[in-house]
Amino acid sequence: MARRALMTSRHPVRWFGVAFILLWSLIPLYWVVNVSFQTDAEVGSKPAHYLPPHPTLANYKALLSGAGDIPDQVRQGTFNIVVECTVSTVITVVVATLAAYAFARMTFRGRDLLFYGVLATMALPAYATLIPLYRLMSTAGLVNTYTGIILVYVSGFLPLATWIMHNYMVSLPVALEEAASVDGASRMQVLTRIVLPLAMPGVVSTAIITFLFAWGQFLFPLVLSSDISTQPLTVVITALQGRHEVPYALLSAAGVLAITVPAAIAVALNRYVVNGLLAGSVK
Amino acid sequence: MALPRLMTIPAAALGVVGLLAACGGNGSDSKTPTAGPTTGVTISVVLATDPPPQAALDAFTKQTGITVKWTNVDWDSLQTKITAAVTAKTYFADATDVDWSRVGQLSKLNAFYPMDELMDTKSLEADMPQLTSFTAGGHVVGVPYDASFSVTTVNKKMFTEAGVALPKTLDEYTAALKTLKSKGTVQYPLNIPFAAAEGLSTYWYQTTAAFGGTVLDDKYKPAFTDPASPGYKAAAWMVDAMKQGLVPPGNINVTDTQGQQTLMAKGQVASVFSDYSGMVGSLYNVPKSSTVVNQVAYLPTPGVTGPGKNNSNPDGIGVPRTAKYAQAAALFIKWFTDADNQADFAGLSGPDKAMPGYALPSHVSAVQKLADKGSLIGGKDLATMLQTSSQPIFPGGAPSWYPQFSQAVYTNLHSAATGSVTVEQALKKIGDTADQLSASGS
Repeated sequence: MARRALMTSRHPVRWFGVAFILLWSLIPLYWVVNVSFQTDAEVGSKPAHYLPPHPTLANYKALLSGAGDIPDQVRQGTFNIVVECTVSTVITVVVATLAAYAFARMTFRGRDLLFYGVLATMALPAYATLIPLYRLMSTAGLVNTYTGIILVYVSGFLPLATWIMHNYMVSLPVALEEAASVDGASRMQVLTRIVLPLAMPGVVSTAIITFLFAWGQFLFPLVLSSDISTQPLTVVITALQGRHEVPYALLSAAGVLAITVPAAIAVALNRYVVNGLLAGSVK
Repeated sequence: MALPRLMTIPAAALGVVGLLAACGGNGSDSKTPTAGPTTGVTISVVLATDPPPQAALDAFTKQTGITVKWTNVDWDSLQTKITAAVTAKTYFADATDVDWSRVGQLSKLNAFYPMDELMDTKSLEADMPQLTSFTAGGHVVGVPYDASFSVTTVNKKMFTEAGVALPKTLDEYTAALKTLKSKGTVQYPLNIPFAAAEGLSTYWYQTTAAFGGTVLDDKYKPAFTDPASPGYKAAAWMVDAMKQGLVPPGNINVTDTQGQQTLMAKGQVASVFSDYSGMVGSLYNVPKSSTVVNQVAYLPTPGVTGPGKNNSNPDGIGVPRTAKYAQAAALFIKWFTDADNQADFAGLSGPDKAMPGYALPSHVSAVQKLADKGSLIGGKDLATMLQTSSQPIFPGGAPSWYPQFSQAVYTNLHSAATGSVTVEQALKKIGDTADQLSASGS
């Protein structure tokens, strides 16, 4: 009885738990935003300011407007991250959709072995592949190129994307595809005209998840890019700190800028992300 | 899920190099440098600092025919990139950073050309005392391009207000801090960065030097487990300072840079026992980031009976084995670390020839010139300390297992400061770790 009461949405313990988790998650974000509107002097003053005493956009202006190294680098880093994330997302979704369809609907020798082999690569710690990939990219002349970074992203994200798409496709009724085949549709026609429209929520989920993961990358682009021509925003931001001095206000503003896009996507398209991660978990 | 692990710690990559070095892995062929073209080539120089003025680089190009492509990468990221390139045996740059703490690792991996094979390093020894920090296995792995060393800083205004003379010994220093506190001049007079990070390790090394010793002996055996040893006394002194309320309680989670920026530069403490040379000019006297402008000065390190030693922790520059133009890179390094050029980079000939953020040349003669001209804050003190009292943290160069050792140092000293272990227990654990690493890495 007590347990049932606890599970009800109005139980105070439940509310306390929700409030605790929310505060635990949001206070650091709030603090970053708060600091981003302060000067360095205000950031370092004691006691700390829980609200900006004299809110200023100076840090954002320093990052975004005018000429100079910092705004140039932030602009280039933003352009780079958009290019790298968008292209790798498109390639990943296209390849994952084709692979998932083959694994879900086609019968061929070694299909299950291949499918679970692809999934098994997700268990491999990604950083274990960093050095071999770096050497491979260096030999191929792909270090410090968009192509190199995008290839690495695609290879990293493809297993999860294939899995999500596969789960979507197996949950679709086969009868529709069989009917289309009886009417003379080819495999590709079945895929593009029947399966894809039905699996569109899965495609969107996969694209969003891939994009968000790509946006948050740091170590791989750090190693695979040599200069600002390919460094994404996440790497550019770390370069703003000096060895013996950390510009907290400027870094906070850069952090806010960097999370704006993924935060907007996560908030606006949250249901797609959840659907994608839950795909196939419930029949 | 595997994908989020793409974001995992760069330390994992650093560990790979540590492991390889500890296992005696040979990262590259021991080829001797080929002559290679030295004119008409473009070399890639990657350092964690802004470049010299373009006019100076142009003059170098005119003089040698070598064009320099300079890339500034933040220090932590640069170490990750160097590690990845060394491990993958891949071209990364023609000249790049060699940090003092990684000399042993990089030497054992044979990842960099011995600089003594590429240029005359013997002639540098007399004027560049910190060159010894870059020597391992009888070879010079990199040439120091700055002269960073640990140094004590004090807020002279606070000391004067409390009527305390500037101390010359550790006892006087400790008594002075207690007086500053008891008179209410400042609630917590001393900054010790007790966060479990590298800054805590270097602070302990410097305090040990002030007590008259080193943490490891010349055979890399722990020299701090005996309560009468300088290393033991240093750790006990640091933890006691915390217990006696001389250090802000929040410093348990404060790193070295945080302490300098938010405590010393804001007048929240009166002294940093193990600060970095150059901090007065680059931070404490900068009005934008400091409230103690013209109040902070360098203090000859208070030792047991008089001025103690100052540990060197400079950055050097070397040539990776995978460099495309090793000889050209060596010519650049010779130019970049030239005494006259360093003096110009530090501002001797005005801002047009100065290199942003470059504070202290590695040549004593260059520091002397700056001090004589008054172009360097605290220049005379710094020149004296550089010439007479700076010493390498490890006399035989940093061991190849230094990163693991440092991690043991800062985690255990942090635990001692929190009170979860005693100083004796902490030092025993550090000593056991050093013994294990020394045995496996030999």
